[in-house]
Amino acid sequence: MWGLREVTALERPPTDLIDRVVERLAGVLRPDQILTAKTDRYNRARVPAPFPVHRWRERVPDLAVLPESTEEVAAVVAIANELKCPVVPRDGGTGLTDGAVPLRGGIVVDVKRMNQIHELDLENRTVTVGTGINMLKLNEVLGKHGLIYPDDPASYPCSLVGGRIGTSGWSLIGARYGHTRDLVLSFDLVLPTGEILHVGDGIGRQISKSSSGYQLKHLFMGHQGTLGIATKATLKLYPKPEAELSPFWAFDDYDAAYRFTGALARAGVATFAGAVLFDEWKVAYLRRDDEAYIPQPADVRALTCAVLYGWEDEVRVGGKRLFRIAKEHGARYLGDEISEGDWAARHDRYATPLHGRTKSGQVVPMSWHCEDAAVNYTRVPAVTKAWHEIVADLRRKTDVFDDWGMFAYTSADTGVDYLTEIDVGIWEQRLDDDAWAMWVRAKRDIAAAALAHGGSISACHGSCREGEVDLVPRELGRGFDVMLGVKRMLDPNNIMNPGKYLLDLAYQGGDLAARLAELRGEA
Amino acid sequence: MSYRYSDEHAPPAPQRASEVAVTTHEHVFEVDPRLMERWVLQQTFPNWDTLRIMHARHDHLDWMHAHFAQKTITGSDLIAEIENEA
Repeated sequence: MWGLREVTALERPPTDLIDRVVERLAGVLRPDQILTAKTDRYNRARVPAPFPVHRWRERVPDLAVLPESTEEVAAVVAIANELKCPVVPRDGGTGLTDGAVPLRGGIVVDVKRMNQIHELDLENRTVTVGTGINMLKLNEVLGKHGLIYPDDPASYPCSLVGGRIGTSGWSLIGARYGHTRDLVLSFDLVLPTGEILHVGDGIGRQISKSSSGYQLKHLFMGHQGTLGIATKATLKLYPKPEAELSPFWAFDDYDAAYRFTGALARAGVATFAGAVLFDEWKVAYLRRDDEAYIPQPADVRALTCAVLYGWEDEVRVGGKRLFRIAKEHGARYLGDEISEGDWAARHDRYATPLHGRTKSGQVVPMSWHCEDAAVNYTRVPAVTKAWHEIVADLRRKTDVFDDWGMFAYTSADTGVDYLTEIDVGIWEQRLDDDAWAMWVRAKRDIAAAALAHGGSISACHGSCREGEVDLVPRELGRGFDVMLGVKRMLDPNNIMNPGKYLLDLAYQGGDLAARLAELRGEA
Repeated sequence: MSYRYSDEHAPPAPQRASEVAVTTHEHVFEVDPRLMERWVLQQTFPNWDTLRIMHARHDHLDWMHAHFAQKTITGSDLIAEIENEA
């Protein structure tokens, strides 16, 4: 198969080019903003997603820079474009599809110093921030004004606003408040040529809906750093909720929990911020290692949780409606302690120390990986079954992989589709080339199963990592050809995060149509 | 914290909590030591540190609740209200 490895053959900038880049950067940045030490570069080489660590060196950038303004980012990118040196934007580095991983060396643009709050508009309920700010730190300030920016990923304490834009992130409480695409009103973006562009609805900074011109904001979200670097963003704010309710219910079997989850999502409760379905594998995994679930009786086999935010009187009324639905479905309330504790822990899943088990039950150190997809409610059970079969096949072959179960999260307030995810423990120290190839095939199969059921490869992480990326031309159809055209037009020298999303195809000669047909399985 | 070193290194006798877990201090669960004999060996912690970690987790969860909302409504409250209304 004509796959990713062929189009991303390692090409690093020659040493003399890097020397020239560093020399030119010294004209636009202070010395302390240009990092060339080994530790600075190696620490910006990977993201949490497990990968073959013996190949770490392939992902190390040649240098990193720490710009402090849009103008400095623009100056860096203009130099890189002129000298044809790769540039990789890096925000929190918490993504799971390698968006921030340099595949061709070059310059990592680390935006963490652009973490200022530039303007808080209490009347229009917006805040304008540097994209290097973290949502938790931002909300500590906003909370003093009774406000919240409710973008709430599982990496909430460590991911940054800019990375959320680059990923077009998904939020745990998006069914109530919307996801990153809904919450970011506008932003400044440095294009691959070094030009500065402002995108929003129309040209407005604080406009939530415009019909003027093409809707460019979405084009520049979710591109995984291939179309530019967001530097300053204006965000929509809400009142900080007066009350939170997060009940967890138990079921004897998955089917009952699935039906109940759908009923909650379809109930039309205004303060409903989301529901999460835990399948039998997830409950078995938690029962093995999570203090809240170890004591649960054996007939707890699947779970549903819901969360509501808003004014106390609204949450009470909505909550009682959900509890009445729970009674109709025979749901068993798990109690206040586990309900509140588990929900609070969901805001911070990256801080969990992880281990898995060999087939004989021995504990081994494992890293966490999560494959996700967007799937309609009616297809969730079939995708769940297909994904477990794929991971079970891996597990039969090797102890490197461990099935940690699946969640399905509501994406919208109507229950139309779900972020479906399977968590897989991976023994990274044992992830040799053979095991990695096995994993890449499994990732491709997981993505294919989502597509076969009418879903999208990713609701949350993006789909530019080895394995799933091969299926993006199939998923997007002619839309992928448009992606190639946009990339070629905006990044004429392919300097912005090269090697991602198969976009190198935009620059290669030969019979592109034949190659795309092969990737789409049409050849 | 105990005055004697030996006291801090004598946790309560483990009780079986499941097929793969034991419990020592109240609310403190540990992997069954028989499952940590080859690839990862079980570490020993003084009692004060074990309890500090457990309490720190609760502090973290309380902080998270307060960060996202001013108060938490409990499910048991709502169940009681529904029963009273019936």
